[in-house]
Amino acid sequence: MQAGLMDTYHRPLRSRKAVAWVLCAALVAFYLLVYYTDVLEGPARRLRLSGKWTLYSVLYTLAMVVGGAFFLRRHGNSPYQRVRTVTVVSVQVVLAFALPLVMKVLGHQEYYFSYFWPLKIEYFYPSVILHQPFLIVLYSFLGSLVAFPLLGYFLGKRFYCSWICGCGGLANTAGDSFRHLSDKSTGAWRFEKVSVYTVLAAAVITTVIVGLNWAVGKDHPAFSAFGFGVQRWYGLVVGGFFSGVLGVGLYPLMGTRVWCRFACPMAAVLGLLQKFGRFRITVKKDMCIACGNCSTYCEMGIDVRAYAMANEDVKRAACVGCGMCAHVCPRGVLKLESRPVRFKGGEPIRVYAVDL
Amino acid sequence: MHYLIVGNGVGGMEAALGLRRRDGGARITIVADEHDHFYSRPALMYVFAGQTSLRDTEPYDRALYERLRFERVRGRVAALDAAGKSVRLDEGRTIGYDRLLLAVGSTGRPAPWPGAAGPGLHYFVTLRDLEGLDRDARPGRHAVVVGGGLIGVEVAEILRHRGLKVTFVIRENWYFPLALDEREAAMVAEHLGRHGVDVRLGVNVQEVRRGEDGSLRGVRLSPAARAAPPTGAAEVPCDLLVSAIGVVPNTAFLAGSGLALSKGGAIEVDERLRAGGPEVWAAGDCANVTWADGSRRPEQLWYTARDQGRVAAASMLGDPATYIRGAWYNSAKFFDLEYTTAGWVPVRLDWDNTPLDPGPDLREWFQRAPTGFDSQRVVGRGDRVVGFNMVGRRWNHEVLLDWIAARRTLEFVLDHLAEAQFDEELSPRWRRQGPAALT
Ligand SMILES: Cc1cc2nc3c(=O)[nH]c(=O)nc-3n(C[C@H](O)[C@H](O)[C@H](O)COP(=O)(O)OP(=O)(O)OC[C@H]3O[C@@H](n4cnc5c(N)ncnc54)[C@H](O)[C@@H]3O)c2cc1C
Ligand code: SF4
Repeated sequence: MQAGLMDTYHRPLRSRKAVAWVLCAALVAFYLLVYYTDVLEGPARRLRLSGKWTLYSVLYTLAMVVGGAFFLRRHGNSPYQRVRTVTVVSVQVVLAFALPLVMKVLGHQEYYFSYFWPLKIEYFYPSVILHQPFLIVLYSFLGSLVAFPLLGYFLGKRFYCSWICGCGGLANTAGDSFRHLSDKSTGAWRFEKVSVYTVLAAAVITTVIVGLNWAVGKDHPAFSAFGFGVQRWYGLVVGGFFSGVLGVGLYPLMGTRVWCRFACPMAAVLGLLQKFGRFRITVKKDMCIACGNCSTYCEMGIDVRAYAMANEDVKRAACVGCGMCAHVCPRGVLKLESRPVRFKGGEPIRVYAVDL
Repeated sequence: MHYLIVGNGVGGMEAALGLRRRDGGARITIVADEHDHFYSRPALMYVFAGQTSLRDTEPYDRALYERLRFERVRGRVAALDAAGKSVRLDEGRTIGYDRLLLAVGSTGRPAPWPGAAGPGLHYFVTLRDLEGLDRDARPGRHAVVVGGGLIGVEVAEILRHRGLKVTFVIRENWYFPLALDEREAAMVAEHLGRHGVDVRLGVNVQEVRRGEDGSLRGVRLSPAARAAPPTGAAEVPCDLLVSAIGVVPNTAFLAGSGLALSKGGAIEVDERLRAGGPEVWAAGDCANVTWADGSRRPEQLWYTARDQGRVAAASMLGDPATYIRGAWYNSAKFFDLEYTTAGWVPVRLDWDNTPLDPGPDLREWFQRAPTGFDSQRVVGRGDRVVGFNMVGRRWNHEVLLDWIAARRTLEFVLDHLAEAQFDEELSPRWRRQGPAALT
């Protein structure tokens, strides 16, 4: 068994009991305050921080560092999980926390080097592009348009969603004890396919509208009003409500990847690349005992067991490659892989000589 | 056509799915007395430990029965009238059929020791066993687990996790001789010791001690036959006694039905899994089948129950399907140690501790890593490789079995062994330490 996961269902906080609802309410309230009010400006100043977003950033990074230690205590016996967690926490501390802070102190506009369009939609807005040095703009464009498609194709979306991204990072550190709460129903899968690509479409359309608005808005006041409206609403609904309020707020009830699974436009793009790319979860033939650990602990709600029982490798756009299914499988049935060939042993054999 | 399936385990469920796939119009009824939904029996330990819920161990969504029009009857079959083609439930109702599949599985082998029956005695095979053990297993208590097999080690693990003191009583001179050799077993025992399990090898339970009020007090252990090194008698106090000394088929209700049963109670079947009666089939833990070595025994494995269920369905549909046991493989876990076996690996010690001779042309290559619990054993006959026994890492049995089928030599296999590694990514690559020589 997995020492870190035992007793999951014996703990009220981890099994949707009253305390979980209370925590959910508290998280939602906190996010509503952060996104839509200035209540936190006061405490931020008292802590001599420049504003509520800096305070938020401190809290977020702290949650990931402490959560990372918690995660390593639970799953540190796996080399994949060790390296992955140290990486994603370091990326947060260095690229998403320290570097932007230094930039700010030095009087530059801050830049989050671990975030890219379309997740960070503003990074393709002309207003941002024009205010950043050329090298940063180049970094951002090469990242979004060249490096990400290539890495997504060759390594799977995990390179970002589980190794770099702060949203995934929080999910896999501070949120780890809620991962089993993801909805495994086919209904949720159907909803996810509609919702995540809808948000992706919204992100692309918003970017185009904002770009057009910059180019021609001055001459067309009506369009300009519309353009700013779209930009504002995307920010409020997707950036604030989906990613923050629901994305983190629902951890104690619906698991940790609600945002990543149902709404993240970056996950949507990378998922498509992954579907046609090399990454897969290889299934060892006929070895599954249907125990359900893999599906239970899949934070993306993938019914991994169904694939394992059917002897089919898992190739799903949703998979963020966190590796937990493979880690918890008591029969070693699953293996994350992105290398082109499996083995040179010869033809796969039929394990049972059943004559049907 | 009315197909009646007794048993909602993997054998029964696979058969029902197979029947429905091919015969959309048939009436399919499933009778079972344990749970309304098919669940994974090997997952019982995770439910006990709270690592999964019972519902998590149900492989299919609950709407499956309705969607595939499987009629469900919750009840216990008390008798079979093979001539009249009907079964009688213990509540009195009878259910007729055109074709019957018995996939009734097994229950824990009853503890044979004097004084065993009574409060505090547990098994770990069914949901009812799980509930009883769950109620009784309170932190700080002392449990004696008897039986050096896979269920025993699982029970030891969950009880240790719950904070009980565990004494693991094993009759043989080393743990799990059916699958492990002395070196591998010593390694596993050391690992169990690190997890706080008190492993007692080469001892039998002589008697179970109970107080005036019948409450469990402890067990008296006596040396097993040919115990080596010699063991002595001992008294072990305990609050719980878990008997994990194997399973027996759930076939008591078939006495007098006219079906042929083996001495151990398993239903005799032919290679098409037809049981002795007209229009009766049997599959899974309860069926007596022919093994590769020609002996007849039930195969008490998830994989074989699954495949027998599939073959039984085809056979019931009238196909000339036969069940032939393919290449042997299995995997398990001893606490944190993963275990994979493939092909033919000799048993070195009989249940009564007599050494077994593996034959003259047997050769073996064994390596244990200098640190940690990690060993590989490659078994050869002449110069070809016939089996693998691997503890402590993950291996792809498909590749291993492929090499056996391709009659690879030991040199080839040891040169390529790392390709069969199936550990998580970023795990250290397996390396050969010694020369590729068989002993
Ligand atoms: C704790 C544990 C761990 C295990 N781990 C592994 C493992 O890791 N790997 C492995 O290969 N195997 C493992 N096994 C063995 C494996 O679970 C069994 O071999 C397999 O489940 C057998 O399936 P079956 O369909 O034949 O019977 P079962 O799953 O036992 O199903 C029997 C069904 O018959 C019903 N039934 C029985 N009698 C009656 C009656 N009179 N009337 C009505 N219904 C009846 C029961 O309710 C049940 O639904 C394990 C077993 C246990 C107990
Ligand atoms: S793949 Fe592994 S974890 Fe998943 S159900 Fe099968 S045995 Fe369990």
